[in-house]
Parts: sequence; C-alpha cells; structure tokens
Amino acid sequence: MLKVIQLDKTYGQNKHSLKDVNFTAQPGEVTAIIGPSGAGKTTILRSVNQLIRDNGGKILLDDQDIRQANKSELRKIRHHIGMIFQNYNLISPLTALENVLHGRLGAKSTFAGIFGMYSTDEKQEALALLNEVGLGEYAYQRCDQLSGGQQQRVGIARALMQHPKMILCDEPIASLDPKSTKIVMDILRQLAKEKQLIILINLHQIDIALEYADHIVGINSGEIVFEGPSQAVDDQVLQKIYRQADQPKQAVTANEN
Amino acid sequence: MKTNFQSPQQFFRQRRLRLGIVLAILLVIYGVSMVLVNFQTLASLMQVPAGLIWLFKNFIPTERSISYLGPILYQLWRTLIVAVSSTICASLLGLILAILGAKTTSPLPGLRLVIRFGASLLRNIPVVAWAMILLFSFKQSDFTGFLALFFMTLGYLTRAFTETIEDLDGEKLQALQAVGANYFQCVFCGVLPEVASTLTSWVLYMIENNLRDATLVGILTGTGVGFLFNHYFKSFRYDAAGLIVLLIAVLVICLELTSTQIRRAIA
Repeated sequence: MLKVIQLDKTYGQNKHSLKDVNFTAQPGEVTAIIGPSGAGKTTILRSVNQLIRDNGGKILLDDQDIRQANKSELRKIRHHIGMIFQNYNLISPLTALENVLHGRLGAKSTFAGIFGMYSTDEKQEALALLNEVGLGEYAYQRCDQLSGGQQQRVGIARALMQHPKMILCDEPIASLDPKSTKIVMDILRQLAKEKQLIILINLHQIDIALEYADHIVGINSGEIVFEGPSQAVDDQVLQKIYRQADQPKQAVTANEN
Repeated sequence: MKTNFQSPQQFFRQRRLRLGIVLAILLVIYGVSMVLVNFQTLASLMQVPAGLIWLFKNFIPTERSISYLGPILYQLWRTLIVAVSSTICASLLGLILAILGAKTTSPLPGLRLVIRFGASLLRNIPVVAWAMILLFSFKQSDFTGFLALFFMTLGYLTRAFTETIEDLDGEKLQALQAVGANYFQCVFCGVLPEVASTLTSWVLYMIENNLRDATLVGILTGTGVGFLFNHYFKSFRYDAAGLIVLLIAVLVICLELTSTQIRRAIA
C-alpha cells in the first residue's frame, strides 16, 4: 500500500506547488490523479520515487518511508517502482529487448550494468515480457522505429522487468491515438488485477480516468480536493476539481512538463 | 504587436526594404575596404588567368616527378598516421571531459566551468601557433605535430561532444534513474548509446580536417609530407611539389568518401 502523508513542495520562496497532500493507493487497484494542468500532478508522481525532492511529509510504501532512504536504499526502492512517461523515454538507438533489460539495472553492480552483462534467465524473461505486451516480434528492432503505442508498451515491459510493487504512469496516453490508448490502459488495468500492483496514473482525460480507475484523487492548485472511489465522482466533484484558479498568481506556480 | 495590424502588402514591402538596406551596407563596406587597401577589382581579376596558366605550366607533374613517388607516398602515410592518431587520442580524452563537463551529466558544477574554459582556450589557439610553441620543447619531430593537432582537436571535440550530450533529453536519463540505475550506468547505458552516432560523425570530420592541418603543421615541424612539399618547393622542383598537392587532394577525397559511407552506415 502506498500512503502519502502531508506531502509539501515549494518552488523558490512561498510558491507552493503541493500543500498538505494526503492520499492512499491500494495494490490491485488503478488510482488516477486528475486535475487541471499545473495543479501538481507530475510533482506528486515524481515525489513518490524522489525524482523531485519535496520539502516535507511522508511517503510510505509498505510502511517504509521513501523520503528517509539514503542513496543506496533509494536505489533499491526505485528498483521496485516502475515508471512510464508521456514521451516513453526509451534509449532510442537501442533495441526493444535492450531497453527492457534496463529494468534490471537497479539490481546490478555498476560493472555488470555498464557492460550489459545479463544472465540467460534475464534475457528470457525480457523476451517473455515483450511477448506479454504483444511485441515479441519487435524485440530486435530499434526503438525509434516503433510507433508511439509500441514504445509505450516497451516502457511497460521495462517497468515489469523491475518486478515492481508499483508502477507510476506520468500522462501515459497523452501522446497516443485512441486505439493505442485502449491497448495501454487495458494492459495497466490487467496488471493491477493479476499481479496485485499499485498502479498510480496521472491523467487529464476524465472519461478514461472514470472508465479505468478504481480510485480517484482530485487535485487543484496543489491541494487534494477529492479522494474516493470513481463511482462517487459526479458533476459537482468534477466542478470542484476543475474550478478556475481564483487568483491569477496560481497559474504561474504551474511546473508541469 | 504592431505587426498584427499590418496588411500583407505592407509586411512584405518592409521585408524587401530591410533586405535592400542590408545589401547596400555590404556594398559600402566592400567599397570602403577596397579603397583602404588600394585594391583594384578589375585589374586584379584580369591577372587571374595569367596566374593560373603559370601555375599549371609549372606545377603539373611530369614524367620526371614519378621518381619522387616513393618518398612522397611514405611521408603521406606518416602524415595520415599522425592525423588519425592525434584525433583518436583527443576524442577519447575529449569524451571523458565532455561527460564531466556537460550540464546533464556533470557530477560537479564547478568542473563544468573549468572544462569549458580549458576547451575554449585550447580551441582558440590556431594549430600553427600550437606547433610553433611546441617546437621549442619537443624539437622538429612527428611528436610535435601530433601534440599540436592533439591540443587543438581536444578543445574542438570537447566543445562539440559537450553540446551533443547537452542536447540529449534529460528525461531519458531520469527514466533510467527511476529504474534505480546509478551514475555510471546512466552514462554508459543511456548517454553513450544516444550520442554514439553523432560523436562518430564528429570524429570522422576531425580526421579529415586534421589531415589537411597535418600537412601544414609538417611544414613547421619539418616532418611528413608538408616538409617534403616545402623542400621541393624551395629547390624549384615545382612538378614534384605539384604531385604532392595532387596526392593530398586524392587522399582527402578518398577519406571524405569513406567517412560519408561510414556515417550513412551508422546513422
């Protein structure tokens, strides 16, 4: 279980990006964070694996506080948190298979990682994962030759290679067409159910969020304004989440993308 | 803001006007500098054909110059070796410096400034000046030429490599960090594969460039094909000197063709 408690983030002085953020995400569920652009969705997600350093609070993954971890502990924790991105962020001249194998880097010695020394088991597993996301035949293709949807599935396979407890998805479908969107979201939902993973997704498509998520976290101007099951989201709640910022200053605090 | 209210005609009229002004300024600069150095355009142009004819008469290799082919080819080979080895050594060191100095991969911000400054110092001293400075310490030898080319190339490539690495999308490295990769793994599994083909292009370009410069440096350091050219030239053996020029041109063109092929293969 992921528990975020009183998370706080300021950029510069007095520019609050996140203010007293509390929410939980359960294994086996898809949790979606929704809210207007610049509300702080990306900041929350990247605080969870500490790609962004926050200013206060607790982030408990199975009762271990990620914020207290030192460098090598953080590396171990990150190894079990997969992440996929809007721009896929694969190493494009490398093959799909090599990118999936990168999921093992967190468990490897520096030397073995640098020289790409992967065991036969690891290679077999990477290939099996590519088959699982329907890309077995593209294993030896350079990633920049794959379509957006295919690259995102390679990204998912890379995350799965980490044997994750949780997968963070930062706007995973923002650059995808409807067909690829459905494929990717179906895979993510299936992973939550079958492997009992925590799936935490940033989304700006409300319809997709309501269709796929079990649990919704609504955020506006860095503050949580709603948390509950997706069935409980009605027009009133949406209005609260997407209400215009009443102070023009708050639009400037946006620090997404 | 103002342009929003312009009609297209007005907009393009302004464009043309601006172009006209730039051309006029260039013409004035040309005219003024011509007067200053006492240069007469037409008279100088008239002299060109006669000069070319003299050049061709004297520098065209003859049957006699074939006898010089042996030593010329040997020196050409040595010059090529100096150019290639200095470029390869400089690119290896340059890559390390670039990784340490690029904004995205630098472990220490202070190091960045030092490397930037050092690289631009090395780069902005012309290779001829390098050769002359180094002559005092290392005498007339191939090694002096090697060092002169090495320093200049190091400055140039460090800068080029740094910029290539900085152009890389930082998010890709963040993705590897998120996986749990450490610094060295990010560099070797992420940065290097992404920039490899661009860096190879730079190295090939520098090899071409350094072959040309190596002949020039050779004149100063008294080595290689540059020295031979100088030697024949000063002893009035113009045909042999012409043969050297021809062979250098052939070698450079061959080198360019191969490197184009290599670049296409790795792109």
